[in-house]
Amino acid sequence: MTDPTSDRKTTVEEGTQFKGSLSSKCPVEVKGRIEGDLTAPSLFVSPTGAVHGRVKVGEIRSQGEIAGEFDANIVQLSGTVKDNTIVRAKSLEVKLSSQDGKMQVVFGECSLEIGADPTQAEAVARPPEPPAPKATSVRPPVGPNGA
Amino acid sequence: MPELTADVVLKKLKIGEKVERADLRGLVLSRALLEGASFRRCDLDGANLEGARLARALFKNASLREAFLAGADLREANLESADLEGANLQGAKLNGANLSRANLEGANLQGADLSGARLTHAQLESAMLGGARLVGAQLAHAGLSETDMTTAKLDDADLTSADLSGATLEEASLARAQLREAQLDGAILTRADLTGADLRRAKLEGARLEGAILTGAHVHGLVGTGEPVSGVRADYLDDSIDASGTSKVTGDGIFALLSGKVIVSSVGPANKRFFGRGDILRNAHLEFDAGASVEIESLFEHCTIALGEATELVVGKGGVLSGCQIMGPGRVTIHGKFVEQESPGIAGATQVVVTAGGSMVGAVEQPAGLTRFGFEPGCVLRVKIQPFKTERHTNSGRPR
Repeated sequence: MTDPTSDRKTTVEEGTQFKGSLSSKCPVEVKGRIEGDLTAPSLFVSPTGAVHGRVKVGEIRSQGEIAGEFDANIVQLSGTVKDNTIVRAKSLEVKLSSQDGKMQVVFGECSLEIGADPTQAEAVARPPEPPAPKATSVRPPVGPNGA
Repeated sequence: MPELTADVVLKKLKIGEKVERADLRGLVLSRALLEGASFRRCDLDGANLEGARLARALFKNASLREAFLAGADLREANLESADLEGANLQGAKLNGANLSRANLEGANLQGADLSGARLTHAQLESAMLGGARLVGAQLAHAGLSETDMTTAKLDDADLTSADLSGATLEEASLARAQLREAQLDGAILTRADLTGADLRRAKLEGARLEGAILTGAHVHGLVGTGEPVSGVRADYLDDSIDASGTSKVTGDGIFALLSGKVIVSSVGPANKRFFGRGDILRNAHLEFDAGASVEIESLFEHCTIALGEATELVVGKGGVLSGCQIMGPGRVTIHGKFVEQESPGIAGATQVVVTAGGSMVGAVEQPAGLTRFGFEPGCVLRVKIQPFKTERHTNSGRPR
């Protein structure tokens, strides 16, 4: 997914629940459930997956459920964003679903801090926000299997 | 006691001597012939100059506090920077006089004739100008707050940027008057004649307009009263930027515009509204009916926008909504900038999209059926998404 020379990835399979701190040099795919801290080059949350906790990754693609604090360069969201969630990223993509179709993403009470700081004029109208996370690398989005 | 007696003053003036910088407090020179006399920098506080003939007299920087000048002839007199606080100038003739930067606070100018007089930057707060004639007078930047100008004649007067807040202009005549950027907050303009007056970017918050005549008034950028307006008499208003008369507002649009409830600047089909580049709207409240399509390329500051069912609101790339609030079950697309003032900046929208290059700072309160979101890579967000709150949506999306 993030390393073209390797197709290795860490997978939390459906039915598996992981609690604790996970640090990986491989892309992480979650079909089951993770509760805790996660550091990895990238994270894919499948429609059956859920990640609750503090996550620092280069890239997130979530079609499942996320909750907690998420720092990334690139974020693609669908699925569900639960209450009390903060997403900080350089870039966020949420595709707009069709008028009659199912919601692409359901947001609970959450905070989105995306892109560079607002302009000075905008800052006047609102107290300063913490800066967006620094980008270390930007890689193209890839599939859930890491290919 | 004055430094000079009235006889000495009259003798000096008779032989052509100047009376300058003299202490003449309380001097009685009523009905005296003093045309062209110079009283520059004199202290004439409390002096009695009733009915005196003072045409072309020089009172520059003189002090005339509480002086009695009723019925005096001061035509073309120079009273620049004179202190006339509390002076009685009732019925005085001041046609063409220079009163620039003069202090006339609390002065009595009832029935005085100030036609063509220069009063730029003059202080006239709480002055009594009932029935005064100020036709063609220059009052730009003058302080006229809380003045009583009932039935005053101000036709063709220049009141650009004047402060008329709380002034009483009941039945005053202001035809073709220049009132650009004038402060008319809380002013009483009932039955005033404002035919053809230039009210561009004037502020009318809390002003009363019942029975006022406004046909042909230029109103682009005007800040409305904030209250429903009724009883105004106007065939049309001109909403063009350059007061060219090319953008006429008629019918109910007149009342809506003056109240600030809706500012109409539309092109194209009736259900489409377009706010073009260069326009600035401040403190306005706009309501758009169900199904309307609205595009904003302008700067909106501190405006509230109520959207009907399925109303489409597009903030174009050049559009900036600063300190604004959008309410109601519409669809919002932001290509430009949106910054809230009061949280939530957007409440009840069924759809919110921020495209690449667009930015949004504020909270989005979702309706019961949730908001459909779309965010393109490259957008800038400082957004808090909040759940549905029942009490806010009991009034079908209307602002609190």
